[in-house]
Amino acid sequence: MSSLKPSQPPPPKILGNIRRQLTAATCTLLTCTSHASGLIASGDNWKIDSALLLYAERDRVLLAEGVLHLSKEIDDDEYINTRIVTDVLTGSSPNGAVPSNTPQTFTNPSGNSTYTEPANKTPLNHTFKDFRNAVNVEWGAPLTRDLRGTLGGNISREYDYLSTGISASLSQDLNQHNTTLSLGGSWNEDISNPVGGVPVGFTVMPSAPAIKALSGSDANKTIKELLLGFTQVINRRSLLQLNYSRGQGDGYLTDPYKIISVLSNDGSGNLRTINPYIYENRPRQRIYNSVYLKSVYQFNTPLLHENVLNMSYRYFWDDWGVQSDTVDMRLRFDLEGGHYLQPHFRYYQQGAADFYRQTLIDGEEITLDYASADYRLGRFTTKTIGLKYGYEFFNGAEINFRVEFINQNGKDRRQDAVGLLRNQKLFPDNEALLLQGGLSLDSDMIIEYVARIYHKLF
Amino acid sequence: MTTLEQRTHYFVGHFNAMASHCEVLIDTYNKNLAQQITDVVAHEVTRIEHKYSRYRDSSLLQRINRGGTVQVDSETAQLLDYANQLFQLSEGRFDITSGVLRRAWHFDGSSNIPSKNDVKALLPFIGWDKVMWNTHAPQIKLAKGMEIDFGGIGKEYAADRAAYSVLALLTSQSSIVTDNTAQNTSVLINLGGDLSVTGPRTNGEGWQVGIGATLPPQKGAQTGPPPVGTLHPSSPPSFTVTHGGIATSGDAHRFLEKDGVRYSHVIDPRTGWPVVGAPASVTVHADTCTDAGMLSTLALLHGPDAEDFLQAQDVPFWCLK
Amino acid sequence: MATTINSGVYRVVFAGSLIFTFSACSVVPVQPWDRDLLAQQKMQLVADPLEIYFDEHIYFSKEASSGGQGVGGGGCGCN
Repeated sequence: MSSLKPSQPPPPKILGNIRRQLTAATCTLLTCTSHASGLIASGDNWKIDSALLLYAERDRVLLAEGVLHLSKEIDDDEYINTRIVTDVLTGSSPNGAVPSNTPQTFTNPSGNSTYTEPANKTPLNHTFKDFRNAVNVEWGAPLTRDLRGTLGGNISREYDYLSTGISASLSQDLNQHNTTLSLGGSWNEDISNPVGGVPVGFTVMPSAPAIKALSGSDANKTIKELLLGFTQVINRRSLLQLNYSRGQGDGYLTDPYKIISVLSNDGSGNLRTINPYIYENRPRQRIYNSVYLKSVYQFNTPLLHENVLNMSYRYFWDDWGVQSDTVDMRLRFDLEGGHYLQPHFRYYQQGAADFYRQTLIDGEEITLDYASADYRLGRFTTKTIGLKYGYEFFNGAEINFRVEFINQNGKDRRQDAVGLLRNQKLFPDNEALLLQGGLSLDSDMIIEYVARIYHKLF
Repeated sequence: MTTLEQRTHYFVGHFNAMASHCEVLIDTYNKNLAQQITDVVAHEVTRIEHKYSRYRDSSLLQRINRGGTVQVDSETAQLLDYANQLFQLSEGRFDITSGVLRRAWHFDGSSNIPSKNDVKALLPFIGWDKVMWNTHAPQIKLAKGMEIDFGGIGKEYAADRAAYSVLALLTSQSSIVTDNTAQNTSVLINLGGDLSVTGPRTNGEGWQVGIGATLPPQKGAQTGPPPVGTLHPSSPPSFTVTHGGIATSGDAHRFLEKDGVRYSHVIDPRTGWPVVGAPASVTVHADTCTDAGMLSTLALLHGPDAEDFLQAQDVPFWCLK
Repeated sequence: MATTINSGVYRVVFAGSLIFTFSACSVVPVQPWDRDLLAQQKMQLVADPLEIYFDEHIYFSKEASSGGQGVGGGGCGCN
């Protein structure tokens, strides 16, 4: 590779007639360029993003998930995105019962076998095995010069669950494209088809082999969401987004596999002797809201030049009494030659739902309307720390890896830790490791690589 | 997304690209042909925009700017060779590495002049002569902190390339279109004020073009050949164009003003400072839009000597003071 | 309840500091020719859609909160 000779400091004079030389140079540029040179970054091709995720919890579930994301710009600003997802979930999940100083035996959801969990450990349901396929398609196009619309559809299938939905959005640019107002909505219809049928809430988990009280073989729910968004470009290197969204779930919002331990009413903390586990029961409606604030900022200081800080905060609340705060920060450091490093930090804290109970006292199931021991409705924090490394090795082509550690830590309800249970950690704290690898390419690049290899070989 | 609009004797195609409103004036009554031509122009302009935009992370240009040795295709190689020739020809006034100065200069009409040291700190990252460009490989490598852009030629190049695409379409169509005059259909491409014309209109008329505030052009009667030399119009002139290209450099809305000195947004890459005393805008008519754009840009870089420079080039031009 | 007051204070302080950071910068309409930085992929609100997809999927199945960034995308039986 040769570098050009440094030019002499130009004299401060007016150039003479350069038109002839200029015209000759322009003529070469315009006529000698072959038109069929659009192979690189022609913008007329498919962009292919793919990623593989491994999510492993200590002693609990293992999730392997593959995603293929295809996007194509059909016309200027008109695009179609397709996302295809496949995942496999295996391992164990807390069944809702509290630990005990003696081993506990539970009936499998199918009702025809039992499993026994050791003393002083969070009881887990080991039958978790799920295989999921999902497709999501989104089309977006300009409607007028400043108005854009999107339409989307999605379907997700597991052997015991089917979710289908549609979504649409409009966004209006104002103020020379510095402000964007958006309005979005989605509608999802889900059908749950749990193993062993849909148990009636607060009925007992029978000892196997036995028949449980069922409300049917499947149950439906509808989720509707509405979003109002405001995005403002602050200056050349920063922008701010503020969203308000409201959602409503109607129908079967209960987890058919989750149970609650029922204690004897003597204050000992022992399980009641007959039918100590009952199925949880949640309201059939949930209305939830969130306010989401996000900023993207590119630094201009000598130390952090061109590095980007992406920060967000979400406040979430619902009519079940859950409130949460989420803070998320990603700081991208660009290194030389297309490499980058991106540390990630996330902090989440959640307050419990009004009907969250880690245990019930014998007889309470008659007086209460709802109760759930699902740890996800409890009071806990999630802390995430991660690092992503990416390398853009060719125009538009990137390979990246990510590793994250996730720690969930819950607070026990003092009122539920009766007697002997005071010696137990009732909340199933959780630790997980996330590994992700991704590869982004575009179709022209693949064609060109194949062509190059072909030329080399023949 | 293109739209088509019928006028009395011609069609106008509209689309948005390169941060501009773009127009295609087509001298035909054939609506299908007009739509085809508009689509061909929009496609070619968008192709070039996607490939060389600084506003698209996925563009080849941005890949080059991220550093490392980058293999380029023949079109990019031609553009880089052209930039090299113009750097030599203009004695360093035209330099595709000068965009780095945007880190210091923001022409927002304010009085925020960067400090001498801020500008000086950027100069090591400017200079085409520091770029490793091997035209035979063809490969380019930028030193850390450097970047290139085709901001000075991209739109003009796109206008000319789009005109070539139209000519190619008309040539290929002439055998199947019953109207055998289709091949000679005159098309004017206007990319936000940078114009390229494929040839004279069949009725002998040209396209009437207004400069400055009256752009975009409108069809009108013949008003004689474009004047050669300086005009100091009280109102922007309009004239008829039958061939070649027209480009305007300068933007009356992009400047800084401090202590009575008006700094134009045209920066001399050799000093890192804006040119003082240049006309507010310069419009040039030349054989191609690319030539016209280059001449008007170089004229502004001559500051108060802009008109002397243009006189020496023997082209029609207009300066707005 | 002390915890509620505390978290309320955190919320106000966090949102306040974010807004302060931005109001400290001058808000000037950014013109098309100054959008080179804003156009970069890393400056998009969602810079890497797959990364965000995975995060949302995982936290949806492990926490009681979801959404906020957009609508659509679909549910699953994981919650």
